[in-house]
Amino acid sequence: MKRKAYGRDAGLTLRMILTSSLLGLLYVAFALALFYVFNAGLVLMLVIVIGLAVFQYYTSDKLALRASGAKIVSPEEAPQLHAMVERLAAMAELQKPRVAMVDTDVPNAFATGRNQKHAVVAVTRGLWDRLDEREIEGVLAHELTHIANRDVLVMTVASFFAMLAALLTRFGLYAGMFGGFGGGNRDSNNNSVPIWLIVIVVSFVTYIVSWVLIRTISRYREYAADRGSALITGAPEYLMSALQKISSQMTLIPQRDLREVEGMNAFFIIPARVKEGVSELFMDHPPLEKRLAALERIAREMGRPVS
Amino acid sequence: MGLRDVLFGRKKLKDPARERLFAISTARITLESELDLKPAGAAGVCFKSLSAGEFVRAENELQQLLEAVAGESGSKVERHTDEMGFEWFVVRDGDFEDLVTTVHLIANELQDRGFGPQLLAALFPFEGKFKEGRVYWIYGFKRGAFWPFVPTGKDQERDNAEELELKAKLEQELPIEQDLTRWFGLFDAPL
Repeated sequence: MKRKAYGRDAGLTLRMILTSSLLGLLYVAFALALFYVFNAGLVLMLVIVIGLAVFQYYTSDKLALRASGAKIVSPEEAPQLHAMVERLAAMAELQKPRVAMVDTDVPNAFATGRNQKHAVVAVTRGLWDRLDEREIEGVLAHELTHIANRDVLVMTVASFFAMLAALLTRFGLYAGMFGGFGGGNRDSNNNSVPIWLIVIVVSFVTYIVSWVLIRTISRYREYAADRGSALITGAPEYLMSALQKISSQMTLIPQRDLREVEGMNAFFIIPARVKEGVSELFMDHPPLEKRLAALERIAREMGRPVS
Repeated sequence: MGLRDVLFGRKKLKDPARERLFAISTARITLESELDLKPAGAAGVCFKSLSAGEFVRAENELQQLLEAVAGESGSKVERHTDEMGFEWFVVRDGDFEDLVTTVHLIANELQDRGFGPQLLAALFPFEGKFKEGRVYWIYGFKRGAFWPFVPTGKDQERDNAEELELKAKLEQELPIEQDLTRWFGLFDAPL
């Protein structure tokens, strides 16, 4: 299938390639270091981690829905939202993804799923209530671009070694605490520095560096999604106003009644919380001003009015 | 919440913080001079009634409370139950100081009679000369802080911009709830 790239931005592509290759280099170095100091049990560990990554990749849609408390809605339940997604998906030459709603006041949206067939876009009730139609379209188009760009795949691959490193750090700590790594290689402990310590240090450094690189890649993907949204809707100014609305203080103020909330929290024992769950639209995202500036540039390129 | 609560779980509900309620008396001057908002001559205290088993005892207590408050203050006090099953004491008094004192007295009496943990909020409506609809200050007893509430009158909509302006204007005088996610409304209050 031909993948459609939304709005080529040479600089962005270059930076993405650069960061990705840095990440790749880091992983190779990490793998070599691991292999050099620590050969037994590595295969097993790789199998476990690859298994986990595969599992995560294949269940990404279900996991994300479960974690955010989103519920798939049918066209009958949310006709307007469905119509909007359908229209935008057609514009983006995508299959129509499943549509979900999250019952929270915090305005937000996310997309998930490993490919077009398994894709889901979700919006929160807060987003639906507070933004006007064109702004919601801008946000939905941003999420659809994530699907078109296969960002779940990209991020899964990118975070795979970070996961491995995190896991190894923990393994190393346990091994250090309870003595011996994998039991069999006791004799290698004759070295002055215990192996588990090296493993911990190497894994930890890998984890930190890859975390930074992953964040960077993720930010680039966001710019790409903003650009995609601008091209799909042809009107970046609405995504701009949506972003401003979403990040403004006002959206923190709940729309619910105090009694309703206290009623749910059986006699005030559990503190009322509305801010839980998803913060996808702003997680690992570039600062708002930079996104707005980038969108403004696109708008100017497109000859759109920018206030 | 202390360390012991963290370790062993909370065994008791928090008692209400009543004292900061009086801050609204001084804030009223700023509200009137800078925002042209006058007290609407009424206030409400909202609390949750106890479970059905305690109903008779609670009824007696509340009746006694009503009489005690009526004897002690010059304000008019009524009782209401709203659609959401919450109880209200609605106080009417032309003098704002007296109004606040009576609200405080009711909160005191409720706490003395064991309703403290069920005490939810006090509601102070204000009216503007050039303004349709009311502006409310809600005092959350649990948090010991005020927050503004401006319903637009349309469904459950509220004017967040005006609420934030009210916050900015009265930041110096009122203990305002800083966590905006706790600014829950009280729609269709019986006053």
